[in-house]
Amino acid sequence: MEMNVIIAGEAGQGAFSVEMELTETLSRLNYHFFATKNYMSRIRGGHNYHIVRIADHPVHALSGGIWDMVVALDGETERRHRPDLREGGIYLSREMTAAVAETAKEAFGTVAASNSVLVGIILAVIGVSAEKSAEAAEPGRAEYVRKGFEFAAKWKLTAAVPVSAAAGVHRKFDGNQALALGAVLGGCQFVAGYPMTPATSILDYFVTLAQGLPLHFEQAEDEIAAINMVLGASYAGLRAMAATAGGGFALMQEAVSLAGMTETPVVIAVAQRPGPATGLPTRTEQADLAFVLNAGHGEFPRIIFAPGSIGEMIALSRKSFALADRYQIPVFILTDQYFADSVQIVEEEIPLQVDSRQYPEFDGTYLRYRLTDEGISPLTFPGLTAALVKLDSDEHDEEGKITEDRRMRVRMVDKRRGKRALFEKEAVMPTFHGDPGAGMVVLCWGSTKLIVQEAAERLTAQGTPVGVLHFGQVYPLTREMIAPFGLEGKKRICVENNAGGQFSRLLKSELDLGVDRLVLKYDGESFTVDELTRTLKGLLA
Amino acid sequence: MEAKSDIAWCPGCGNFAIRDVLEKLLPELPVPANRIVFTSGIGQAAKMPHYLKVNYFNGLHGRSLPLAVGIKLARPDLTVIAYSGDGCMYGEGGNHFIHTIRRQLDITILVSDNQVYALTKGQSSPTTDPGAINSLSPGGNRNLPFNPVALAIAMGAPFVARGFAGDKEHLTELIRQAILFRGTALVDILQPCVSFNKVNTYQWYRQRVVKLAKPATDRSAALQTAERWGEQIPIGVIYQDDAAECRAGAEIFRRGATAEEVACQIDMKCVMMR
Ligand SMILES: Cc1ncc(C[n+]2csc(CCOP(=O)(O)OP(=O)(O)O)c2C)c(N)n1
Ligand code: SF4
Ligand SMILES: [Mg+2]
Repeated sequence: MEMNVIIAGEAGQGAFSVEMELTETLSRLNYHFFATKNYMSRIRGGHNYHIVRIADHPVHALSGGIWDMVVALDGETERRHRPDLREGGIYLSREMTAAVAETAKEAFGTVAASNSVLVGIILAVIGVSAEKSAEAAEPGRAEYVRKGFEFAAKWKLTAAVPVSAAAGVHRKFDGNQALALGAVLGGCQFVAGYPMTPATSILDYFVTLAQGLPLHFEQAEDEIAAINMVLGASYAGLRAMAATAGGGFALMQEAVSLAGMTETPVVIAVAQRPGPATGLPTRTEQADLAFVLNAGHGEFPRIIFAPGSIGEMIALSRKSFALADRYQIPVFILTDQYFADSVQIVEEEIPLQVDSRQYPEFDGTYLRYRLTDEGISPLTFPGLTAALVKLDSDEHDEEGKITEDRRMRVRMVDKRRGKRALFEKEAVMPTFHGDPGAGMVVLCWGSTKLIVQEAAERLTAQGTPVGVLHFGQVYPLTREMIAPFGLEGKKRICVENNAGGQFSRLLKSELDLGVDRLVLKYDGESFTVDELTRTLKGLLA
Repeated sequence: MEAKSDIAWCPGCGNFAIRDVLEKLLPELPVPANRIVFTSGIGQAAKMPHYLKVNYFNGLHGRSLPLAVGIKLARPDLTVIAYSGDGCMYGEGGNHFIHTIRRQLDITILVSDNQVYALTKGQSSPTTDPGAINSLSPGGNRNLPFNPVALAIAMGAPFVARGFAGDKEHLTELIRQAILFRGTALVDILQPCVSFNKVNTYQWYRQRVVKLAKPATDRSAALQTAERWGEQIPIGVIYQDDAAECRAGAEIFRRGATAEEVACQIDMKCVMMR
């Protein structure tokens, strides 16, 4: 059983608060749920909606099905979302929500209480008892939630769509919280940034964690300053990260090249939104892969991750820092607005130990860019010993001094580029989901993972077996990464949230792997399970 | 010690004198060389740290200051000095110059101000005098000059000085005070470029510089001094505020958190209510 509820209204009317309070309470009541939001780039007015999928089994994607319940805070909701209400579904009209607001104001002296009353109504609909709901309510809001049960009783909604609570011990995160937490677990202690949707909440959560942990956040004057501060902190000895959206990353490019040349470890999170330029600031897209892949002038190696689940995000975000240090390269984490703003629960254990940097000690003969047999120069930090640490953005010799010596130039280029062969050996394997014998495989990357997987499950259940191969590491791609999956003999479909099929082009250029069909979406919204099931079915016919 | 022939500057360049000053001064400071970090940008001036016995991060054109900010925040125990030219600090890095002052960190900013883009062969810089003729301004520079010392004082920098490469003794004391000063300190150094600036020569500066007896502690008086340029150019500490606030960096280097501390932090309710 599951219930899909949509809460819609103008920005500032409380739909956001209802979603937050509802997911918080559902988490305390041990419900499985998935929540996401669709909002406009404005603080008041317009039309925003928040979707919560409550289920008695794990759910990790936007279903896209018809609504079991629509909560209208404005008039637009009637026109936009009521047609998608299932027959016999629950519609809380604008008049009904206005009555809730009125009562809340009278009874509790604040309209804000009405958000909690609405939460109470929804909890009543899924069959939670008033007592349990009041217990799980936000502090000071139990009475408001109880009031919701009175409304539910009056409107005969109690247990109208019963869903049982079946989640075990869990934590709840959105994609950006997972990214920031993974960074902290990876030993990241320094972030500098400049706010830009959908990356801002990475900064927010890092700052929240910094309230009680040895971390520092600095708000920079622009993204150029942000990433240079991050490189300064990394050089000085702290693991450090920059986080921004595509537009901010455009400003950071020169410093990506600087990191490549100076071999300064750095992790850069890029949260994608539709471009070009300002694009659709609060919507989603996967169209900055090619940009991140090619960002920065000159030739130097990099790794790019694009995790697809909360657990994978935490794990790869953590891992990025160890790799950045080991290979002294920029490591990227690509995410997007859909993933950033999706709230999910994680039942699997999250190891919370914090990784740490190595602080090797050298004497005065230390050379930052020493040419070694292993192909990596020893990394250390200023002020620890007599060793002086000299970095240079010019081509340099082993000590870190400017050089124009042609032989040294070639040796340094070879050293930097040679690191790729080393980290290719520890590439993160893609994950296969579904029937290994299926004749059709869907290739995907980043945030579409769980949507594609659920669509494939539905198709398989309907008698058309489909496999899914998801790439959490999108660069570099190696033959070893795809070898176990027998892709050559299968019909290959690539699903991407962009217009140009950027990942499919990368598969072609890196692995000479073509795809038979592309499924693309670039209207600013993510795929939904229903939509993708239909599209894939059409391609099979 | 660096053989002078390895240095990429022209014979007679004012940067040699500044290097002499730093080479002599740095070992006299109460900080060992391995705790001194220079950041620099790109330009002739920005090569300075290569010719000194210090740690350095020679970054990109215009970006010496955010590097310095990151280093100082991460490692308050290091003495951080940003070194670059007028084009780098005030042109390409002008925004960082303004905002670094706002951060109130203990960073020293040293600028070889030769009033020209030297490395790119003599174009106008932000501090080039109006009317100066060069390849990209054949009809003469039309822009008003940028006044770094006035801007720094106006922004609230607590230590603002102007020095002259032609007076090493005087310059030594200015730089010494700037480094030892607790707070953001600027020394804009008049640095003759013998190859590309045929107007503002050693002689031109020598005829004009006047030494200030003592710094103003009053901002508006200091601003008046900072405004003076032309027939007389004041050198020395123009403004000093020993009582100014100075923000410390983060004391977090080599302090990892335990799994328990992380669990405690993420399970706090305020965290969930983002
Ligand atoms: C982004 C970028 N733009 C332009 C340049 C070319 N460039 C190198 S140095 C320089 C000007 C240097 O002037 P200044 O900072 O005054 O140093 P000087 O050479 O005069 O000591 C320029 C424009 C560059 N290296 N990077
Ligand atoms: S070009 Fe000017 S600033 Fe550069 S080294 Fe020569 S004299 Fe000095
Ligand atoms: Mg100059």
